[in-house]
Amino acid sequence: MSMFEYLDIAIDSAIKNGSKYSDARILFSKTRNISAKNGEVENFNESEKIGIGVRALVGSSWGFYSTYDLSNSSLQAAGKKAFDIAKASSLVAGKEMPFADVPVVEDTYTTPHEINPFNISSDEQINLLLSSTEHMKKQGSSRAFGRLDFWDTQKWFASSQGHKIFQNIIETGGGLSSLSIGDGETQIRSYPQSFGEYRTGGWEVVKSFEFEKHLDRLSEESQRLLVAPQCPEGTMDLILEGSQLALQIHESVGHAIELDRILGWEAAYAGTSHLDLKKLNSHKYGSKLMNIVADATLPGALATFKYDDEGTPAQRVDIVKEGIWTGVLSGRDSAAVAGVKPGGMVRADGFGRLPMVRMTNVGLLPGDSSLQEIIESTDNGIYMETNRSWSIDDLRLNFQFGCEVGWLVKNGKVIDMVKNPTYTGITPKFWANLDMLAGEEEWVFWGTPNCGKGQPSQIGHTGHPASPARFKDTRVGVRG
Amino acid sequence: MKIWEEFLSEAKDYLSSNTEYEIKMMHSKSALTRFANSHIHQNVDEESAEVYLTLHRNMKTTTISSNITAIKEVKSFIEKAEKSLENSPVDKGWAGLANKDNSYNNLTKIEESSPDERALKVKEFISSGSELNSAGYCSTSVDNFFVWNSNGLSSSDSSSSAFIDGIFRTENSAGSSHRGAKSLNELDSKKAGNEASKLAREGQNPEDINPGKYEVILGNEAVSTILVFLAVYGFNAKSKVDGMSPIVLNEQQFDEKITLLDTPEDFDSIGFKIDASGSKKNNLEIIKNGVSSNYFHTRRTSKELNAQNTFHELFGWGESFGGIGTNLKLKAGSKSLEEMISEVKNGIYINEFWYCRVLDPITQVVTGLNRNGSFLIENGKIIKPIGRLRFTQSFISSLSKGNVLGVGNNSRYADSEFGEGILNVPALHLKEFNFTGGVAG
Repeated sequence: MSMFEYLDIAIDSAIKNGSKYSDARILFSKTRNISAKNGEVENFNESEKIGIGVRALVGSSWGFYSTYDLSNSSLQAAGKKAFDIAKASSLVAGKEMPFADVPVVEDTYTTPHEINPFNISSDEQINLLLSSTEHMKKQGSSRAFGRLDFWDTQKWFASSQGHKIFQNIIETGGGLSSLSIGDGETQIRSYPQSFGEYRTGGWEVVKSFEFEKHLDRLSEESQRLLVAPQCPEGTMDLILEGSQLALQIHESVGHAIELDRILGWEAAYAGTSHLDLKKLNSHKYGSKLMNIVADATLPGALATFKYDDEGTPAQRVDIVKEGIWTGVLSGRDSAAVAGVKPGGMVRADGFGRLPMVRMTNVGLLPGDSSLQEIIESTDNGIYMETNRSWSIDDLRLNFQFGCEVGWLVKNGKVIDMVKNPTYTGITPKFWANLDMLAGEEEWVFWGTPNCGKGQPSQIGHTGHPASPARFKDTRVGVRG
Repeated sequence: MKIWEEFLSEAKDYLSSNTEYEIKMMHSKSALTRFANSHIHQNVDEESAEVYLTLHRNMKTTTISSNITAIKEVKSFIEKAEKSLENSPVDKGWAGLANKDNSYNNLTKIEESSPDERALKVKEFISSGSELNSAGYCSTSVDNFFVWNSNGLSSSDSSSSAFIDGIFRTENSAGSSHRGAKSLNELDSKKAGNEASKLAREGQNPEDINPGKYEVILGNEAVSTILVFLAVYGFNAKSKVDGMSPIVLNEQQFDEKITLLDTPEDFDSIGFKIDASGSKKNNLEIIKNGVSSNYFHTRRTSKELNAQNTFHELFGWGESFGGIGTNLKLKAGSKSLEEMISEVKNGIYINEFWYCRVLDPITQVVTGLNRNGSFLIENGKIIKPIGRLRFTQSFISSLSKGNVLGVGNNSRYADSEFGEGILNVPALHLKEFNFTGGVAG
């Protein structure tokens, strides 16, 4: 039997029992995770999973059942259970859940890649981390860390409306960190960004990082930070390096525009949003330089695919245009409730989780300046690189970020390294102060592989293209 | 359990005598009923069975894992691990298999709860504030864990849990509460609903106050957040190995009123009584009267620090996370919440912290915000609800000598940034807590 025939058994069972709509996904997921410390392997794990998740819509609620058992009887039972679970929700029912139509397609898609990372010997991958971390340790790092992670996910999706979609998504990434321990403090420098950089693609993604060119710098900077002065306290111009700006976008824009949050569906856990749908197309989110798009079609970015986990085609949606809020991240249910077009932004963390609204590649379009020009035109500012901590309230308004390193900028020149740099702000005020933005040459598809949302908890992979930018009059140097 | 017995029996046919083996299986049935805008909108149920196989030979180690469906043949699964072992480098940190004397067996058949039963608990919670907007979840799980190794260890255990967690909202306020237990029947969802709805009603029309240093009364969830950060980043022996732990054993780092225990042997403790190596866990003192007593160790950290293993390995995390206590109890005091509030001259009540992140691991300076119930207290009385504040505060200093003025008598399971069912804590009265920002940033 083909995978689509397995899916049909479960879907038919859910429909025959009374579901208004049903869909199902079978996933075969392979992962490889390697981490190393000081020239030795710390963790090496390879994992494979196969299973099915069945979704049934009954009245005002989704029912979802997942199992590892793909026998005929189990698949029939899974469809019925998904229906029964949804039906139990009628004890505390709401208004019937609407569900938007999307084109019914049969299609296949594979992530464009040169070399599948699972076809590379783990020996070669491990040795890359061992040699990199050993080198940094020899250069004086107190601890040198490295990690590589690979995902190869084959996904079969079918629906009661007739979708039959197969996708093979390949994701690759990793990173290095040098930790220096001083008297009652630690300092860290990471590359390409903190917690690693991840993209869709193959082993060529890791090769493009050229770890070997950054080892000495990471080790030297983490040691130098120990004796660097503290980040000054006050208000000044803030210049953000691309990966930190990517996280700023993720937290203060990406989550705020999730339609399920705006509708209150995530209120208890992830929170809601400061955005009100009545102000769509009129709310001022930031300065004229602020142009944000959610684009799941960008080749190579981490959240790139052809269809989401509801069968909706991947697409590019304007989120903020010249500072005005214009779009949301939506699924077929939330879009129908809000009266907008489904955005194809619903994905699940594996076969065992209910698909939900997730960020795609939510990025800030590049400007026409450069980091060099931004620094040269700054009289009194600080340039911050690489995230170290992040926190934002449940409306996505009040945030505080810490970075690994800060560089004081005076009269157009970088004059000094400072440690423990932090900045804080309120989302619309902060984005209104965006006044310089680097161009396409410095625009990078930053990827976040660890976005937590939902109950039960799901980890999402999101992308955030960004280039360096300047924000005027920002409060920096907050300390406890 | 048949699925485990069959797998292990077949696997044993393919093992060689010159290799050390550890085989584990986690079989779980978990369900979660989720509500928002005062009705159930998502309702999920999952059955999973995951197998972990570790091999060690000639100084090399490898671990592969799979769910039971992905293992087409047990023989080829083991051959795959053998191939992976060949590609593995020398593992200097290998600390051996768990000893056969550590075996513990307590496999029990536990009945699952139905979606109808969970829905009724949700209904009870929501009915506590039918005029308000509610959201949250009710979850249940039944888990069975099996560990076998070639050293002669054979362990198995069963565990169950149930939680209800939710908020009520008005236009400008929210209140939350949480309950955890080993079974759904033990959950008092009505009481949790009453607590959450009261906070939401009384929190309406909050006023912003200036940031600064305030005396605070911290509710169960806020206390739980501080302690889980100290457990994960401080008492985790891997943090010590990595040079990032602020904890120094046998030093008075905390106030005398602070005594923290890990209590896997207690009857009401949620979770397995064995760790991921299959070793029986024991009750353990972490902080006694303000003095740090123990780190949470795994086999590897105990070898690296030449310390006794405390059996705190976590399933599914390999060696990447280290050891964590998952049955933490802060010793309760004698004061009720009302008594503690009555002793505050000028301070704040905080029900829950939100989005806390470490700025500096060594000093445990953490930033985060308050939510779901915050009030100004003056001369022993709650005066008015207040808006959001951002704190930047060392969690070590927050519990330091002289800063803990009182410990409550109202212990219960509290939610935390790292999950539920881990901490059973009372409220705390602290002399000073540093708020660095308000609504204006």
